[in-house]
Amino acid sequence: MLNRPAPGGHLPVRQQGPSGGTTPMAEATYRGGSSAAREVELMRRIAAGDKRAFEELYHAYHRRMARFLTRLTRRYDVAEEVINDTFWVVWTKAGDFRGDSQPSTWIFGIAYRKARSAFRASARRLEENLDVLPEPLTTETPASQTELRDWLGQALETLPIEQRMAVQLCYELGHSCEEIATIMDCPVNTVKTRLFHARAKLQRLLPQLAEPRAGESA
Amino acid sequence: MTRTPLAHEESWLQLPWLANGRLTLEERAEVEAHVRGCPECARELATQRSLQGLLSAPDTVSYAAAPSFRKLLQRIDAAPAAAADSAAPKPRHRLAPHAWRPPGLAWAATFVLTVSLGLMVATTYRWSQPAYRVTTTAAAPASAVLHVAFERSLPVGEVGEVLQRAGARVVEGEGGSGVFGVVPATANGPVDRAQLAALAARLHRDPRVRWIEPLAGDAPAARDP
Repeated sequence: MLNRPAPGGHLPVRQQGPSGGTTPMAEATYRGGSSAAREVELMRRIAAGDKRAFEELYHAYHRRMARFLTRLTRRYDVAEEVINDTFWVVWTKAGDFRGDSQPSTWIFGIAYRKARSAFRASARRLEENLDVLPEPLTTETPASQTELRDWLGQALETLPIEQRMAVQLCYELGHSCEEIATIMDCPVNTVKTRLFHARAKLQRLLPQLAEPRAGESA
Repeated sequence: MTRTPLAHEESWLQLPWLANGRLTLEERAEVEAHVRGCPECARELATQRSLQGLLSAPDTVSYAAAPSFRKLLQRIDAAPAAAADSAAPKPRHRLAPHAWRPPGLAWAATFVLTVSLGLMVATTYRWSQPAYRVTTTAAAPASAVLHVAFERSLPVGEVGEVLQRAGARVVEGEGGSGVFGVVPATANGPVDRAQLAALAARLHRDPRVRWIEPLAGDAPAARDP
């Protein structure tokens, strides 16, 4: 059974050049983000009303948040709304940031709560737990990396929202278990449990995840 | 490597962070040591790395941040001042101790204080007065007007006859109290005490006169018990 989502979906974003994707260097910069010390300094300036610092922080986070939220909601307009809601809070509450955690954890904690509300308001049906889904999403034939990524996107949609967010925070954004627990405001063991169940479901839906593929970058 | 259930379960749970490189050095060493001797965990680690690679792969799309940021700035700039006061970081909105403030609140407080003080003074004055009210004064009527009351059943015509016979005329109506203020009918100006005493004597002779207000210094002249 092949349930491949339509390429591109309904994301009003522009495509990159013909080579596709960003360079590994750019991606590494994106994943690493600006340094925590720099972000703390930006937060201090934002608390003092510095819009330039606010703009810098916004641009530092926009891409990864857009990707995270678009994958989560499948709609860029919703993702953009959540991003701006999140940074509205950053602008108004920067003075409340005490530095107990990294700015990225604090900001993604806000984004997590905003995204959860937006997601539940607009797509309750996607929260259905498909424990009983018997069929894998993929075919028997080896899939290309692109196809597998599409299938993975569809498989993620079958996960409960909390599990899906935990997966994305771990694999996509590279957060530690403790950071995810802070972002999701739950115990560390809850994070591990959510990922445990998510991993089991994803492997059932995508058995090819466990198969070695040519050109795999990881 | 010896596989213990606890070590296996713990390692299994830690594999996502071994794949994304976020374990501490100590945790990583422990998990990697277990994975080397556990084919099941080794396969799972491969799956985890595959999953991590797929989800963190370079984007094929880009997201334009500038238009979104402009929208957010417009929202911030359009925010009502009241919302900004309550939501913006405190250091930017904290007023200096000597800063000028609108006087509306001070005016309102002053008004309330003034009204309260006025009410308090009025209440204090009222409480300082006797509980009864004096409706007549002693001196003035005694020297200018003689107050007379007639039998209650006396018709108005007979009241006039009594007054005419005694040589008196009404200068103050009874006003529902049954008491008339009278002076000698011949008086054109201020009436002295002797004229009033003479008039009282004439009225007192008529049995239909029930009560005559005593003049100052006189004995009570009323017929009422």
